Amino acid sequence: MENELRIDPILIEEFLKFNKNLIEAPKMVPAIDEINLEMTPYDVAYSEDKMRLLHFNSSIQKQNKIPIVIVYALINRYHILDIHPQKSWIKNLLNQGFDVYLIDWGSPTNIDKYMGFDDYVNGYIDNCVDFVCDEADVEKVTLQGYCTGGTLATVYSALHPNKVKNLIATAPVIDGKKDTTVVGNLAKHMDVDKMVETIGNMPPEFMYYVFSVLKPFEQGLEKYIHFFKNIHDKNYVDNFLRVEKWLNDTPSIPGELFRQWIKDIYQDNLLIQDKMYVGGKMVSLKNITMPIFIQVAVGDHLVSPECSMPLYYAIGSEDKTLRIYPTGHVGMIASSFSQKKVLTELGQWLSERSK
Amino acid sequence: MESGAETQKKPDFKETSDYFKHLSQFWTDMTYLISNKPSSLTSAGPMRKLTMQTKKISNEIIDANEDLIEFNTRLTEYYKQLSDTWNEAQKRFNTKVPEIPNDIEHIESSKRVWIDIFENSFTQLFDSEKFGENFGKLITSELELSKHWNNMLTVLLESANVPTKNDLNEVYKELHSLRKRVGKLEKNEKKSGVEHNGK
Repeated sequence: MENELRIDPILIEEFLKFNKNLIEAPKMVPAIDEINLEMTPYDVAYSEDKMRLLHFNSSIQKQNKIPIVIVYALINRYHILDIHPQKSWIKNLLNQGFDVYLIDWGSPTNIDKYMGFDDYVNGYIDNCVDFVCDEADVEKVTLQGYCTGGTLATVYSALHPNKVKNLIATAPVIDGKKDTTVVGNLAKHMDVDKMVETIGNMPPEFMYYVFSVLKPFEQGLEKYIHFFKNIHDKNYVDNFLRVEKWLNDTPSIPGELFRQWIKDIYQDNLLIQDKMYVGGKMVSLKNITMPIFIQVAVGDHLVSPECSMPLYYAIGSEDKTLRIYPTGHVGMIASSFSQKKVLTELGQWLSERSK
Repeated sequence: MESGAETQKKPDFKETSDYFKHLSQFWTDMTYLISNKPSSLTSAGPMRKLTMQTKKISNEIIDANEDLIEFNTRLTEYYKQLSDTWNEAQKRFNTKVPEIPNDIEHIESSKRVWIDIFENSFTQLFDSEKFGENFGKLITSELELSKHWNNMLTVLLESANVPTKNDLNEVYKELHSLRKRVGKLEKNEKKSGVEHNGK
């Protein structure tokens, strides 16, 4: 018969296998809530309101005198930096002999809606840096900031240069006007005053919307098909679920902080022009004169390289390094590539400046 | 010469809504004035406050209707942009893959092509000025609706003598300022302690 429908038998086999995986999945895979994201043990060295300063434990002898204070981003929680034993940013730094602290912002609630840049930079970060300096008996620390944390770390370094020995800016949001991502486009058209006035804090639902429009087919469809196809690969499943859990744990952002963020950085682009004010003081990037290591990713669809790179040209430092990696926003900090390339280069650069 | 149909004025929603708003305010005020004396004698306390403020609720409902029109316009445009982009992407895919393959290798590769085309088309849309502008206005109109709801809720909460959002905001603001002052005092105390020990 001419019109007979002929289907490749392998296709039928694949289809049946996929269906079998769907049925077997609940028996083989833990529920998201059952996954514990806490990996490397730590002590809560200092806390203030909902913010905690975590000090990670290490069995390796410290080889570098200057401790690292990591300023985590305002979006999602810090767990991505310690997501998997083989992909942990923190564990890697500990293994290279560094003393690692991390600022966990916690989950702000309505009571925190008036917290702004000043509270975060001149309050929380400054108190954490003072605490670490006292505890480690040093005068300065190495400050590392990731994503929006990179911006906070940059602003802190400009306002308190005498307390920062080295600055590491990993995918920082600096020049909002040059940002070419969907995030930047939505931020530029947002009536942030109305949002803060009506809702208070920036709600997690808004961030989930933003995530959903970033690579909607690859991230929203394809990756789940891939997950069910690879349900028997324990390592893959474990890594996948950890990242999914991290992605779905987005705290609110305090209203005032969010307002200043959107207006000063994305809409009026004040930071790169040295026109931004925090706690009544002008933030001049020229005040950043300490050694600086800037890391950007070519495939970053959250903070485009064009948005981060202007930092390199705006600062006053003579000892400055810019590294551009062929990876994405998360790939730069939590992947096999970051373990082999990004952290190796960073460790080498930092150990020369941490004695 | 203009025809009768052309000269006939189109119904203006704003005018109609303003008229109903005025009508509602007029009769609420009149009812309040007429019943003021007898109700003052028989009612006191929160329920009386609610009676006095019902006008606010009806005004909020009328204003919310106006914002609902803006919200619907923006939402329609939002879905139009999405469906137009979908149709365009599907057309491009059909040109590239005119026949549906039935073997695994070709299905996999055509799936890849489909994802790439759709991903590019939608990212282009989300990156565009027209999407950003409409989305921004959509969110604003949604926030306007939330604001009306908040205002109505405030009237009800006030009538029940329960703290309103504005009352809570005052508390949050005061707490924030207190936290800041305590933080500063602690810092100064620590500083003077260090200086004192240093001496």
